Amino acid sequence: MADAVHSGRLERVDASASGASASAAASQTHRISSGGLIDRTKPLSFTFDGKAMTGFAGDTLASALVANGVKLVGRSFKYHRPRGILTAGAEEPNALVELRGGARREPNTRATMAELYDGLEAVSQNRWPSLRHDFMAVNSLASPIFVAGFYYKTFMWPAKLWEKLYEPAIRRAAGLGKASGAPDPDHYERAWTHCDVLVVGSGPAGLSAALAAGRAGARVILCEEDSALGGRLLADGGEIDGAPASDWLARAVAELESLPDVRIMRRTVTFGVYDGGTFGALERVNDNVPVPPEHQPRQRLWRIIAKRAIVAAGAHERPLVFPGNDRPGVMMASAVRTYVNRFAALPGRRVAVFTNNDDGWRTVEAIRRAGGEVVAVIDPREPTAIRGRAGGAGANVLRGVVTGVKGGVDGVSGVQVSVAGDGTREIAADCLAMSGGWNPSVGLSSYHRGRPVWRDDIAAFVPGQCPPGMVLVGSANGDFSLGICLEAGHEAGTRAAADCGASASAGRAATATDEKFSIHPLWHVKGKGKSFVDFQHDVSASDVLLAQREGFESVEHLKRYTTLGMATDQGKLSNVNGLAIMAEATGRSISDTGTTIYRPPASPVAIGAFAGPNRDEHFHAARLTPSHHWAAERGAVFVDTGLWKRAQWYPIAGETDWLQSVTREVLAVRNGVGFCDVSTLGKIDVQGKDAGTFLDRVYINTFSNLGIGKARYGLMLREDGIVMDDGTTSRLAEDHYLLTTTTAKAGPVMQHLEFCRQVLWPELDVQLTSVTDQWSQFSIAGPKTRDLLKAIVDPSEDLSNEGFPFMGVRDVTLRGGMRARLYRISFSGEIAFEIGVPARYGDALARNLMVAGEPFGVTPYGTEALGVMRIEKGHVAGPELNGTTTAADLGLGKMMSKKKDYIGRVMAGREALTALNRQVVVGLKPVDTAARLRGGAHIIPKGAVPGPTTDQGYVTSVCYSPMLKQWIGLALVERGRERHGEIVTIHDPLRAGDILAEITSPVFYDPEGVRQRG
Amino acid sequence: MRISCPYCGERELGEFSYLGDASPKRPAVIAADGGVAPDAEDVFYDYVYLRDNVAGEMSEHWYHGGGCRSWLVVRRNTVSHEIKSVEIAAGAGARTGHPNQERANG
Amino acid sequence: MAEFAWKSRSPLAHAVEPGRAGARAGAAGVTLTEIRDFALVQVMARRGTWAETARVAQQLWGIDAPGGPKAVFGQDVTLVGSGPDQFFVLSKGSSVQDPVEPLKQAFAGIASMTDQSDGRCMISLSGPRVRDTLAKFCSLDLHDSVFPVGAAAATSVDHSAVTLWRAPNADGGSPLYNLLVFTSFADSIWHLITESAAEYGAELGYAA
Repeated sequence: MADAVHSGRLERVDASASGASASAAASQTHRISSGGLIDRTKPLSFTFDGKAMTGFAGDTLASALVANGVKLVGRSFKYHRPRGILTAGAEEPNALVELRGGARREPNTRATMAELYDGLEAVSQNRWPSLRHDFMAVNSLASPIFVAGFYYKTFMWPAKLWEKLYEPAIRRAAGLGKASGAPDPDHYERAWTHCDVLVVGSGPAGLSAALAAGRAGARVILCEEDSALGGRLLADGGEIDGAPASDWLARAVAELESLPDVRIMRRTVTFGVYDGGTFGALERVNDNVPVPPEHQPRQRLWRIIAKRAIVAAGAHERPLVFPGNDRPGVMMASAVRTYVNRFAALPGRRVAVFTNNDDGWRTVEAIRRAGGEVVAVIDPREPTAIRGRAGGAGANVLRGVVTGVKGGVDGVSGVQVSVAGDGTREIAADCLAMSGGWNPSVGLSSYHRGRPVWRDDIAAFVPGQCPPGMVLVGSANGDFSLGICLEAGHEAGTRAAADCGASASAGRAATATDEKFSIHPLWHVKGKGKSFVDFQHDVSASDVLLAQREGFESVEHLKRYTTLGMATDQGKLSNVNGLAIMAEATGRSISDTGTTIYRPPASPVAIGAFAGPNRDEHFHAARLTPSHHWAAERGAVFVDTGLWKRAQWYPIAGETDWLQSVTREVLAVRNGVGFCDVSTLGKIDVQGKDAGTFLDRVYINTFSNLGIGKARYGLMLREDGIVMDDGTTSRLAEDHYLLTTTTAKAGPVMQHLEFCRQVLWPELDVQLTSVTDQWSQFSIAGPKTRDLLKAIVDPSEDLSNEGFPFMGVRDVTLRGGMRARLYRISFSGEIAFEIGVPARYGDALARNLMVAGEPFGVTPYGTEALGVMRIEKGHVAGPELNGTTTAADLGLGKMMSKKKDYIGRVMAGREALTALNRQVVVGLKPVDTAARLRGGAHIIPKGAVPGPTTDQGYVTSVCYSPMLKQWIGLALVERGRERHGEIVTIHDPLRAGDILAEITSPVFYDPEGVRQRG
Repeated sequence: MRISCPYCGERELGEFSYLGDASPKRPAVIAADGGVAPDAEDVFYDYVYLRDNVAGEMSEHWYHGGGCRSWLVVRRNTVSHEIKSVEIAAGAGARTGHPNQERANG
Repeated sequence: MAEFAWKSRSPLAHAVEPGRAGARAGAAGVTLTEIRDFALVQVMARRGTWAETARVAQQLWGIDAPGGPKAVFGQDVTLVGSGPDQFFVLSKGSSVQDPVEPLKQAFAGIASMTDQSDGRCMISLSGPRVRDTLAKFCSLDLHDSVFPVGAAAATSVDHSAVTLWRAPNADGGSPLYNLLVFTSFADSIWHLITESAAEYGAELGYAA
């Protein structure tokens, strides 16, 4: 880090003399009168726990709270201890608030990351009735109970009490903020972007890398979590190329913005690294305003594809572990510097600084320059160069450690110092800045099981094996020097660009000179009172030691037993201290102790951002048939079948329930004529000179001998012998078949057929393509089908039994010249044809069928009536083709050819699949004709005690049959075919209870099939 | 993960679906007259069910259903997810050998 | 008996409301146009006959058949690669007459053909913010250096397979992309596209 703090501000904004801003400043008791990157001409009002306060544009909520002299901002998770703002960045564990009100209320928002806007409302969390007087703070008195592993230990108490008493009580007491519970009124997006070089972080190393790669001509994306570019330069300044760093920063940003293939993404945190150079990033597009502008998302989730990645994500300062280190007013030294320099807000008027490294001394300089008072600097090390310089001006420099912090909910009032060889001393102070060194942000380098490597000289973990194509530079790589950051960034940018073939001049690297970072590790100051390691989860040093005593020495065990590192900051502040204390206790080195596995996200991401536009009715795409809007006009009720919306029934005036509509539709078909949109069935064009051979191999029956202009029912198995799908396949020409699938299996069957064609039998000449969407297809059924067809088909077409026999297929012309394909196939058991026209004429076909059929009382029917009629006819469908049934189970065993190989043939012959006691398809008729049959009910012998040993099958499909005037069903029943006529118990404990039913043939209606051939 | 489809180029994982080990070959156990070899069930049992749980490099079948509908043979390290090679299934196109090689008139 | 009128209806007839949508300020960032009335034939070479297929294409349309993911623009047709040894033949017109018929003889025994004129819906996208819009639902890299005019792709939008290609730039110089989506998905995908374009302001319409 640069230690040469420049004398000027990065960007001075003079205080405005306007009345508004003068009064606005009144609440800001801790605002420095000049300097900082805030805009004093733009005062902003906000409330914290209902209290009105002001800040300025450029503030975060945290910096505004600091400026308003607020110390207490939250309560800890477990003990409800009062907590203050600890950091100025993404790692903040304490200052979590509920931001916004109403449906937009967002819990657990880090005040340090929330940009201030006018009218911002923030409320503290996890306290009752108020932040100052938190009833739950009694937890702190019970802290001997809430030790490491308390959650697990309570399991050993009486189990009954756990569910009823302990868990609800613990859940109520320990918690974070509450979600609004209302649907989020804002929208979220997902987007993709691509680049040669992704640079994560815009501090000196990141900017330098982006500049080099951009100048070389690479496509660069620079992601910065903050609203402003610059990283620590914004708070620390320094000198670059012999001038204030702010000058270089301004020039660098301007140059990057001028490069056409460089994209700067502000307010964008890179949270994950995935295989193949894929990165997850979250852009907070409109989190800095109360309500996003119309048509704009609140947040956007990016998937960034990068050939190379340069991670310059910086480092997080490490707390020191000493008694009282969680008192409001104890703050990271770098955060104090950020509040003072960037936000012109003084965290305290009398600041003590406790540091074990040189960087803490820069905070001393920053406070002094801003006019604050440094009451003492406590440093356990031998005097160093920086100490001589910064401490020179009369500071109270003590070689020692802090052993206690005095104060209450309103913050620090004094610190207790143990001076080496000189007893203890008490020093009055209202703020204690602490620095335990710096932890490089190695998270992104470690998501692919890379293990960070310990470096003694900087007392920190640095990246180990990075994912392919990634390098870490700057302080993320353990280089805590401005000069090295600039140089390493430049070099990495140049190399990454060259790797992507961009070789224009990268220019020269900016330079800076600064001193080497020096640290002496200090892991744990022992003393009276709790010393916290994980602030949010209230894990103290004694918890870590207890875990060690109880045998949880492995870091993964330590984490789970104590919840160390499991808070919202995911151990950014706590992990290294925790495992260092464990290392000390076990006598192992930190290196041997190791780290836990790193996993994304590096920063919390709202589920809404992952969902993006896929919510509510757009949760997934919907497929509409060509007649959808015609059906909607008629008031059809739609049902989701897979992605499709299908008309389920078409209610008419006076009908009060669905069964009435469905029964009417069935009777209309059975007695007259009706039509149903069957466009959703999968349709696959199968062409090529080996098309017939191909179908023979995928179906259990034979298709190569099918006549041109004929259709045949086919059944296909999976290779394990279980039925995959069924459908009617027609032969349109010598080398051209049209295969149909069920609606549900269209996609899987296509994939399966492509596998057969491309992988199993590449020698066959077969081409496949889906034509599902090409055709609008209707089934026209009922005794008056021909009457209707004659009215719409060109009079030259012969539709008689002779001219168009059952299972015939032919292209026809419709009246008015429309081309169509006619199939004589029946699912309903009536005389039926399916008629297909190109999809764009499907709407017209539906309307024309209504006109043509008007004299015959034509009735559109939905999937429900279709289902009733297929059950009456005993046709199997999805509920019977359910992934457990064989062809023989379905009563279709005779179709299985013995003369050829086909998918599933061998495995279908296995003993268990051909056993005589298999559950096979039967019909069911309740003995009491008024009784209702329910799907899913189990079948047991009449009067048997229900149980696994008496269970003989289950009901798969049920309907009210208008023809039989009672409920009927299909079922899979053990040895069912031998048991027609037997009375069994239908066991349904969940709903209506048990009824008796007779096992019957599955074909309830017209078993001879006379009607469909008429 | 990203897979370089020989026809389409590099694409995101969501366009592909996974089948599994590409090494088992479907046994030919049915004679021309439809007769079944005596060990048919055993060899098919192996073909359908028995798989090695490879930690390391293996050949896998992937389907580019969200793209050109080619079946691919992907040589992948199951530990690191590193992809060594991607080949198109022999029957994916009309050309034999390397279907993706553009011809002069292609 | 009466003759019937056969009125063609686009799958987007309900969804497309011509005019300005989304943000109103300034010029529209994106222009979305449904292209109605086209004929689309999928040509798939028979086993071992790619060279012959390409030769017939050359004879019929005077252009090279795309042997990869490319769009080739001819006088009356655009050929778009859709997979190994197959391509779409896109032409103006309609599907009142089967567009496969006139090609049958030339490709007999050489290639299989399927009419997809009604199986797909075509949407063209252009305007200064067209790539920002596409980035929200298309995973491809559309940078000029990667996806220039004439590049094509079989890819997915919202888990549905689509065909995308870049046509010569639109009037005004912005890139122009054409998208073929499955007809049944058209309504959903149109919604997704218009939502994605809303923040930039969109001009919606259809063209014959």
